[in-house]
Amino acid sequence: MTPIQFEQLYERDWEELRQLLAQMHGRRYGQERLTVHGERVAALYRRTCEHLALARARFYPAYLVERLEQITSDAHQAIYQHSELGIGRLARLFSRDFPRAVRAHAGFVWTAAALFVVTSLALGLLVYFRPELILSVADAGTVAQYDQMYSKAAQEIGRPGGAGSDWGMFGFYIRHNVGIAFQCFAAGLFAGVGTLFYLAYNGALIGAVAGYLTERGLAATFFAFVVTHSAFELTAIVLSGAAGLRLGYSLLAPGRQTRLQSLVKAARESIVIIYGVSALLLIAAAVEAFWSSAGWIPLAVKYSVAALCWIAVISYLTLQGRRAN
Amino acid sequence: MTGTVLDTLVPAETPEGILLELRPSGLCARACAFLLDMLIRFMIFSLLTTVIALLGALGPAILLIMLFLLEWLYPVAFELTRWGATPGKRALGLKVVMDNGLPITPAASLTRNLLRVADFLPFMYGSALVCMLIRRDFKRLGDLAAATLVVYEARETRKAQLPQVEPLAPAIPVALQDQAAVIALAARAPRLTGERLDELAALAAAVSGDAGGAGPEVTRRVLGVAQWFLGRRSP
Repeated sequence: MTPIQFEQLYERDWEELRQLLAQMHGRRYGQERLTVHGERVAALYRRTCEHLALARARFYPAYLVERLEQITSDAHQAIYQHSELGIGRLARLFSRDFPRAVRAHAGFVWTAAALFVVTSLALGLLVYFRPELILSVADAGTVAQYDQMYSKAAQEIGRPGGAGSDWGMFGFYIRHNVGIAFQCFAAGLFAGVGTLFYLAYNGALIGAVAGYLTERGLAATFFAFVVTHSAFELTAIVLSGAAGLRLGYSLLAPGRQTRLQSLVKAARESIVIIYGVSALLLIAAAVEAFWSSAGWIPLAVKYSVAALCWIAVISYLTLQGRRAN
Repeated sequence: MTGTVLDTLVPAETPEGILLELRPSGLCARACAFLLDMLIRFMIFSLLTTVIALLGALGPAILLIMLFLLEWLYPVAFELTRWGATPGKRALGLKVVMDNGLPITPAASLTRNLLRVADFLPFMYGSALVCMLIRRDFKRLGDLAAATLVVYEARETRKAQLPQVEPLAPAIPVALQDQAAVIALAARAPRLTGERLDELAALAAAVSGDAGGAGPEVTRRVLGVAQWFLGRRSP
């Protein structure tokens, strides 16, 4: 069969497929978006694939092969696309996928948590007994600000005098905390070293500040401020660290896969944790901006709410989504 | 074929058993697209600042949240549209696809854009630069982990117009590959200058029995043979 006969014989199929695809996409071609028969598209697609294979095997002219390549690749994209977005998917994520992913990475979560807690305890105790060391993690001006922020006279705890409104702080916490979590995750790509560093660094910073304020006798205001939102925030930082460690570990110990395959798999599985982390940090930012900073709430109420939050977060992560469905 | 050695085409196999060829975009095009996107983001942000200044107390919060969204989710939002590309990439004719040529998934888009942080280290996208330069498919770290690829969008191919000349039977038996080469030459004829076309046709002159010859007459005969290979015969 000559190329011309080939083209004449099958031209109609190709054109029909092209038009059906254009209808599926609609707007681009200035036509209305119509529902098309999937069966017909699939049949035409398979046939065109066959034609492309024939055209290549018979060394048909380049323009013909290119045309078939274009039609088949358009159809391929239209037929095999996933639709992952939607309310159902979101509901499944939080009712099942996220807590399951966290439990599947339990080893990494414990490692990240241990590193975070140990560095913050170590720095906390160090700064508690030698308060001048706080100056090695923060400059004098910032330290003076801490004193003022958590002093018993502060109307709004935990923020420098004259700082923006609750809403302003809400925006700030989102940007700042989510940024730290994403950094913790991404740095895992360097064999996990980056994640270890960010976890230890943030742990050290928080520990140092806590140690310093305790030594100054401001522990009451400080812990009342942090105890509620830390249920979400510290958990989120530890979880993003766990996701980052998973990335790093996948490169160090790929098992029976190539390092690249192992990394792709690790990224696909650990990104689920990052979805959840973003949600946790959103909650944390809201709590920190509107609840934690309110000076008028009695301590007893704050501590009870905090206890509830911690219990809720931990039981959500350990119990949710265990039932098979 | 020698051409395949130089090409950076990435083949992606479909379940139907055919290979789709993806053309990965190089460093330069991607850097330009990135700069364009930076510019667009900057313009959106300055526009927002002026608008939000009028809002009063809520302003700073919205501004910070917008900044956060622009920083992290601007590429994700655009990659999930049906063009699969940020405005900067679209301007350069690029798009992001999965390794297998399919449209990018939300998870992959988020992965590649969050890992931008790692690509940025140690400074000014140092890791991305090194990674892209040592790979044939120009992937940065984020692309590696997300299994995505930045490719040139296929152009609309128009039907080739072969010069209409009298079909001529070939003088010697010609292998299929060589037939395809002669046809490809004929398809390119309208885009070549007369002299260049003569030069190239002289290389293929053996098919019309004019081996060693050159000139417009030989070219016309070679193009005639191309018509014959396509299946045209004299009336």
